[in-house]
Formats: sequence, structure tokens, C-alpha cells
Amino acid sequence: MSDEHDELRARLRAADPASSLPRPDPDRVARLLEDTMSHPDTPDAAADSARQRSPLTWLAAAAAVVIIAGVGVFAVMNRAQDTGSPAAGPEPTSSTGAPSTTELRAPGAGATSGRCLPPSAEVLEKADVAFDGTVEEIEGDLVTLRATRWYAGSPTDLVTVRGPSEDLQALLAAVDFQDGGRYLVAASTDGRVMVCGFSAEHSPRLERLYGQAFGP
Amino acid sequence: MSTDQREADRRARFEELARELMDPLRHYLARRTDPATADDVLSDTLLVCWRRLDDVPDNALPWVYGVARNCLANAQRGERRRERLAARISVVAPPDQVTPVPDARDDELLEAMAALRPEDAELLRLWAWERLAPAEIATVLQVSANAASIRLHRARQKLRDELRKIQQVSGHEQSREGSGS
Repeated sequence: MSDEHDELRARLRAADPASSLPRPDPDRVARLLEDTMSHPDTPDAAADSARQRSPLTWLAAAAAVVIIAGVGVFAVMNRAQDTGSPAAGPEPTSSTGAPSTTELRAPGAGATSGRCLPPSAEVLEKADVAFDGTVEEIEGDLVTLRATRWYAGSPTDLVTVRGPSEDLQALLAAVDFQDGGRYLVAASTDGRVMVCGFSAEHSPRLERLYGQAFGP
Repeated sequence: MSTDQREADRRARFEELARELMDPLRHYLARRTDPATADDVLSDTLLVCWRRLDDVPDNALPWVYGVARNCLANAQRGERRRERLAARISVVAPPDQVTPVPDARDDELLEAMAALRPEDAELLRLWAWERLAPAEIATVLQVSANAASIRLHRARQKLRDELRKIQQVSGHEQSREGSGS
């Protein structure tokens, strides 16, 4: 039995298309690692806005924006349309035990087309909800962020983004929501989370944009 | 420990990890996509590893393959979208299947692999090319070890069946009718 396996495995290995892959140029590897570690969106680099960045890192950031723009997953805010909700805004329950929550939702896959302009403060300032927050938990089809600063909208402690897993996975992969990561997220008046580079992992540049849009 | 020290530590840890993973990762990607996409996905994957350095398990490779797999899927989703937008792009036909090279290339195997379901073929690639054990394959595919083991077993069986079918057709054209009796 295992001989038969070995034989099959050997035959597959003989067909490995990467068997003669040339070794990478060590300089290129070193540069790639350096670029990775000085990526503007990493928490450490973000804290140090004075750090010098190579054009390549900005290129990588621009590529990330393009990816986010391309995926274009929208999330619909429940709170404004929710007829059962007592108020238009999210209900803060600050003084009692449970933390208050703003709910966002990722709808069907229809919303994945469209093109994006570079994010601008003029567009961003129309956002109904905008906050700076940290991903607290990613579980199943639910991402929970703890908001640390509100630029627009009624402040709540938590914000959740919920959606069918495939759409949420696309959003997770595109924005690269990671446990513990810090993000700037905006949602427009019609209840959609703004992608196209408006909502993304925290970076000094994006923070400046939020500052321009909503005032420091 | 000071912040600078911690940062330096983190960087050293990442560099060590990345250098160790670089080669297997490059091979993993070269087996599954074109060189340009492989480059992009390699940097995406490294970035995720850098950000999630604390989550990387001791046996890092299967976990990192899993990350690369997601990054690649993401890149390919973008690629498919571009292809839909641009009316006609001609990159589809893999040249392997058209130009027969007499020796060195195992056409029967390629054909048999192509006939499998993509999930089964991927299991076999992870097993044979990345040389992973079923439990490691389970990490990459985010399924249980048990499921990976069973699926791998079935995939091998299917590959053997396909190979047998192909051999019957190509090797014994003349005696096909009589092969059952």
C-alpha cells in the first residue's frame, strides 16, 4: 500500500513545475523583507509617522487601495433602517453593563463592481458614521471592532460588521481585518460602509484624510 | 524591555522566519500561478506574516501556506474581475496541454490531474509537491486532520483511476473493446 503511495508521489514530484525554480537574488529578498517591515499600515510604522518610506512601500499601499476598491463590498447599516429601533442613531448604553454597539452588515455579492476615485476629504466628510477602532474579534460571519475615536455619528463602544461568510471573507481579505488591528472605517448616509480606500487599516495618511474631512 | 528593543526583536524574529519560509513559499506560488502574480502574492503573504507574527505557530509552514492560499485566491478574484472587464484576454490556454514534449513530461499524469476536481488535485499537490503530512494539509485547508486524511486517501484513489482510464484509452486503442473479456 505504502509502496503504491510512494510510487504515485514520486511520479507527481517528477512533474513538479517548480523543481527548477532559480534561487532568488539575495538583494531582492533583503529589499522585500525591508519593505514588508516598513509597510505604512503596520502598527509600529503607523506610530512613527516620521519614518522614511521607500517609494515601493507607497506603491504597495496604493496596490492595497486598488484591491480594496476592486472588491467593493458594501455593508449596510442596520441601525438607521431598523424599524424596531427606538431612535435613529445607535443606542448607547454607556452607564449600564453591556457596551453599546453600532451594527454594520455586508450584503450580497451584487455590490462588487464599480470603479473608485482616489479617496478625498470632500467625499469622506459626507459620511454618516466614521470612526477609528481596533478589531476585537473575528468570529464566523461577524467582525467586532472597539471604537476608540468617533469622527462622525453617534458614538458607541463597539461596531459590528456582519455578513454572509463569502462576502465577509472578501472584505476580510481585502481590508485585511486582523485581530487586534487598527482601522479607520466610514459609512455613508445610505448605510453602506465606504470601501474604495476610505475604510482601511489605520495609516497616518488615512488619518490625515479623516482629519481634513471631520476636523482634527 | 524598551520599545526599540521589542521592535528590533520583532524584526529579527520576522527576518529569521521569512528567510526560512521564502523558498518553500516561492515554490508553492510558482506551482500555482504566473511569475508576476507569484511576486505580488509573496509580498502580500509576507505582510500578513509580519502583521500576525505573534499568531504564527511553531510549525509555521502549513499555516503560512494557508495564508498564501488566501492571498492567492484574493489576487485571482481580482484577476477574474479584470478579465471580465477587459472584453478579451488571451492568457487562458496553458501551453502544457497543447505542445506535446516526448520525454520528460508526464502527459498522462497532467491529464489525470486535470480530470480531478480542483480540491482533490490541490490535496495531491500539497501532499506530493509541498510534501505535507495529512495533519499539515488540514492546517492549510482549514479542515480537520481526519477530513484531510480521508480526502487525501480518496484523491489518490481517484488519481489512480484516472491514470488507469487514460492508459486504457491511449495505450490500448486497438484492444479497447476486448479489454473487459
